[in-house]
Amino acid sequence: MSSKPAAAVQKMFFREAIARAMREEMRDNPNILILGQDVGRFGGSYREFDGLFEEFGADRVRDMPVAEAAMVGVGVGAAAAGLRPLVSITYMDFMMLGFDPLINYGAKLRYKTGGQLTAPVVVKTTAGAKGQGVAHSQCIEAWLMSVPGLRVVVPATPADAYGLLKTALRSDGPVVYVDHKRLFPVAGEVPIEEVAVPFGSARICRPGTDLTITSHSFMVRTALEAAKLLEKDGLSAEVIDLRSLAPLDMKTIVDSVGRTGRLLTLEEGQITTGVGAEVVTRVIEHLGPIRFARVGALPAPISSNRVLEAACLPDAGRVAAAARLLQSPKKLVSSC
Amino acid sequence: MLYKISVPQVADVEEIRVLEWHREAGEAVEKGDLLVELETHKAIVEVRAGQKGFLRKILAESGNWQAIGLPLAVLSESESDPVPEDAQALTDLPVDFEIT
Repeated sequence: MSSKPAAAVQKMFFREAIARAMREEMRDNPNILILGQDVGRFGGSYREFDGLFEEFGADRVRDMPVAEAAMVGVGVGAAAAGLRPLVSITYMDFMMLGFDPLINYGAKLRYKTGGQLTAPVVVKTTAGAKGQGVAHSQCIEAWLMSVPGLRVVVPATPADAYGLLKTALRSDGPVVYVDHKRLFPVAGEVPIEEVAVPFGSARICRPGTDLTITSHSFMVRTALEAAKLLEKDGLSAEVIDLRSLAPLDMKTIVDSVGRTGRLLTLEEGQITTGVGAEVVTRVIEHLGPIRFARVGALPAPISSNRVLEAACLPDAGRVAAAARLLQSPKKLVSSC
Repeated sequence: MLYKISVPQVADVEEIRVLEWHREAGEAVEKGDLLVELETHKAIVEVRAGQKGFLRKILAESGNWQAIGLPLAVLSESESDPVPEDAQALTDLPVDFEIT
C-alpha cells in the first residue's frame, strides 16, 4: 500500500487565511471588490484585509459609511450588473439591516428573472459573543439557512476560512460567509496549494464511536474540548465540523449517526429553530428515531458582563453533561 | 543564575509567530534591550530584556510559532553557566513588552 506524502502546509492566523484567499481571487478576477467599514487603509476590523488596499487600490477596496442596508443593496445591485462584490459586515447583529436587499433582491433574483440574472455577492460577517454586549454578540446564521437561493458557510479553522472563501468568491449566487470573533486569535495550518473547499462538505475532525456531536464555527472548539472530557469517562465522541449550513452535508452526518446511534447538536446561537433543530430533523427523516440532544445559548440577549455572558453560552462542561445524559435511558429534554 | 524568557501573557492571545530576533545567542544584553519581535493576530509585541545578562539559547526561531507562556529563550547572568536541556523548569525572567 503506497503512502501519500504529507501535504505541504503553512501555519497562519485566521485573518491571514482570509486575506490570502481574497488576494488570490482578486488577482485572478478583476471584478471582485470589497465594500465595508475600515476595509481600506485600516486593513479590516480584524485585520483580515491587510495589504489588499495597497495592492488593489481604492477602486476595489472601498470604505463605506455605516449603512448596512445601503451597503448590501449596493453589493447586490453591483453583482446583478456583473461585478463580484464582497460586502463586509463587521458584526452579524447588524446584518439584519441588510436582509431585505440580500433576500428579496439577491437570493430571489435568479427565480424572479427565470435564470437570466443572478447576484454573485458574498456577504462576509463576524458572529459571536466576546464581551461586547447585546447588540454585538449574536449568531443568527440559522435564520438564513432556510432562504431559497442563499448559501451559508461557516469556517471554523484557518484552512476552511481560506478554502470556503475562495469557493464563495466563485459562486454563481449570493453567499453568506460567517466567521466568529473568537476564531481570530486561532492559528492553524493551511495548504500551500491554492485549492478551494467545496460547499456542502462537512469534516469529521475527531472520529468516535459512542455519539456524534455536530457543530460549527467557534463551537467546534468547544465540542473538541468536551470530547476530551468525555474520553476520561470512557465515552468516545465523534465530532463533525459542519462547515456548510446551506447546503448541509447530510451524507457525512447520517453516516456518522448511523454508526454511533446518538446525536448531540451544538451551536452558539439559539436552539429554537436553530441549526441543530434542522440537523436532528433531517437525521430522523433518514434514520428513524434516534436519541438526540440540542445544546445552544440560553434564550437571552448576551450581556457585556463577563459572568453573565459565560452563563448564557455553552461550554465544554455543559456539552459533556448533555452528552452523558444522552447515554442514559431516561427521556431527555433539550438543554441549553 | 539561569532564566527562561517566555512568551508574555498578552490578553486575548493563544499563540504567536516569532518575527525577528534582534540579538543572537551568546550576546550580552542590557536591561531594556529589544530581544525579539512577536506577532499576534492583532499586533506586534516587542519583547525587551528585564535585566542585563547573556542571551544563551534561542528556543523558538524566526518564523516559528510558540504558545503564550512557553519558553522563547534562555538568559543567564554569567556567560558560562551550563544551559540545561529542558528550559521549562527554569525561573521566568520578567520581561518588558510593548504592543505596537
